Amino acid sequence: MQLSNKKIAGMLSAATCSLLGTSAQAEDDNWDVDTAVLYYDESDGRVSAFEPVISATRDLGDDESLTFKLVLDSLTGSSASGAVPSTQVQVFTRPSGDGSYRVEPNETPLDPSFKDTRLSFSMNWEKPVDRNNRRNLGFNFSHEYDFTSVSANAMWQHDTNQRNTTWSYGLNIEVDDIDPVGGPPEALTSMADQNKASGTEDRTIVDLLFGVTQVIDRSSLFQVNLSLSEADGYMTDPYKLVSVVDNTTGQPIDHLFEGRPDSRSRQSIYGKYKKMFANKNIFTASYRYMTDDWGIDSDTFDFNYRFALSNGYYIQPRFRWYQQTEADFYNYFLLPGETPSDASADYRLGEMEATTIGFKFGKDIDEQQAWSLRLELYEQTGEGSPSEAFGQLAQQDLYPDVEATIVQFNYSFRF
Amino acid sequence: MSNSLSLSRRGKLWIGQFRCMASPCEVLLETDDEAEARALGEMAQREALRIEHKFSRYRDDNIVHRINSGGETVEVDEETARLLDFADNCYDLSDGWFDITCGILRRAWSFADGAKIPTQRQIDLLLPHIGWQKVSWKNPLLTVPAGMEIDFGGIGKEYAVDACLQLLSRHGDCSLMVNYGGDCHASGPMADGSAWMTGIENPHRPGDASAVIQLKRGALATSGDVFKFIRQNGKRYGHILNPNSGWPDTNSPLSVTVAAPTCTEAGILSTLAMLQGEDAEAFLDRQAVKYWCYR
Repeated sequence: MQLSNKKIAGMLSAATCSLLGTSAQAEDDNWDVDTAVLYYDESDGRVSAFEPVISATRDLGDDESLTFKLVLDSLTGSSASGAVPSTQVQVFTRPSGDGSYRVEPNETPLDPSFKDTRLSFSMNWEKPVDRNNRRNLGFNFSHEYDFTSVSANAMWQHDTNQRNTTWSYGLNIEVDDIDPVGGPPEALTSMADQNKASGTEDRTIVDLLFGVTQVIDRSSLFQVNLSLSEADGYMTDPYKLVSVVDNTTGQPIDHLFEGRPDSRSRQSIYGKYKKMFANKNIFTASYRYMTDDWGIDSDTFDFNYRFALSNGYYIQPRFRWYQQTEADFYNYFLLPGETPSDASADYRLGEMEATTIGFKFGKDIDEQQAWSLRLELYEQTGEGSPSEAFGQLAQQDLYPDVEATIVQFNYSFRF
Repeated sequence: MSNSLSLSRRGKLWIGQFRCMASPCEVLLETDDEAEARALGEMAQREALRIEHKFSRYRDDNIVHRINSGGETVEVDEETARLLDFADNCYDLSDGWFDITCGILRRAWSFADGAKIPTQRQIDLLLPHIGWQKVSWKNPLLTVPAGMEIDFGGIGKEYAVDACLQLLSRHGDCSLMVNYGGDCHASGPMADGSAWMTGIENPHRPGDASAVIQLKRGALATSGDVFKFIRQNGKRYGHILNPNSGWPDTNSPLSVTVAAPTCTEAGILSTLAMLQGEDAEAFLDRQAVKYWCYR
């Protein structure tokens, strides 16, 4: 029996890695292609998203590589607009200014025209400079009908301590152009007046990253990243509202366009620990603390454990827990006569907790191919009956929970 | 002296040379620090000698001798277990073309000056004692039936190259290349980004490095020996033997050099290519590796 038609180089590589206790080295002149489809679905018929992703990495040899990534995001459904529910029927003007829609009594007002397709393209070029230094340059472009974003990033990585310590320095600059339907509204003016400017708004975001990765021993490593982010420009969500409610009844008497500060500074620290056991199981734990000058502080804990099963299969349960404090200008509602400089009722700026539980199941078929399926349940909760609620507001859920299911299928191959 | 390290300076490199595994061995180190070069050179030499002592079939004080002395179950150490797992993997993925039990064929084959090819009867007497599938290997317990032997000769030198490179890379901070008898492995390009130069011998003109290969990272291994063959009946019988038939393929290339991420992989691929005879190039094309084949 001849061997000449059998491709064994990949499996031989894997066997050699076990022999020498090294990790697999990518072969030169290959494309590594990653394809994924993600489906995100919120319960109660809110937002659902369908997101195919394709990414291809060209190995140029000597650890130099070029990566291209294309993401198509299509969102449908509705998200909470920020307006309070009422015991009465409410009528809202559409963002375009043409026509209106009704919200039934005791229903959370949603913006029903939430439908969007986003296309995003990015490329990344990684190249070793010498034995102990690597640089990484990237570019990203993303566009949807009312939003365009362009960003460029650079990262320098320096190894010391016989490559057991890696220092990373990164810079990202992003410019966004926001072109709201009907024009950018005048913040904190009545939606009924449709007081909108013409033209577009923009913002600039600069991120700095400093990181250290330390190999602890052959099977574990620890990573710490510090990042600083400065955003300047238009931060307001042009489709979100804040209700003004009657002093005694709590019934909404007006809905204002929200308004946010025109800058945001964020700092975060992130730590990750990863350990691989002799049986090839892998434990990963990470924590992130983030704080910003809007008054939002958040903590994220994320744990996963990958159990290696036989024949290349694995299962990886995951648990993530997130909490944040509310922004200084977050208000469930405003009272007549209140004239804050900024106000938002966007639930994403409110105090909340979120839990994700799920698992990933997959198989590394061989050196060339792998697939995985990820299933996760997400639940976000906040205070739906805050102490400041009065009148009819006391009967309403002012912070409806968000529950979502996330399903993702991945297939990657090399050719 | 064969057992001392000789250290010399060539350009911006320090080169440590010694003899081991019946081959001239050298480590090329891109450093200005002579003390570091000496320390690393001695470390490579100690590691190469350790591997030779531990896995040579010519000694009677090592694990291979214990395994081969007659049908006993032997509990092996972790390193030997890794090599056995590797040999087991190679046997499977090569459909039995790579087999560490075929070393006993040397009882029939001699490549000394004036040697003749064996008779089929001599081969037939040995074949029943060959076949990895007859060995019981359940990590860490190995039982080789009486009359059979295992031999790490087919992977030992390449493994030593990779192991020494790893060891030196962990202890030194310089770019380096390990070259044991022409099987070599470079840790990465030199500080200025340039490649290591290494020659491969043209079997038609022994002693003359005919092709200079630039190696930035990764390994080369060569199979085929310009002196180890028998010419008889107008055919060339090389020393790389088919474990199933007990014979070499007389249509094999004179030598095959393969480039791969590690020397161990390169060595297995070049050996398997030699066994494919006239299909050697087809086999290597299928593996999508760089190679140099001399016929």
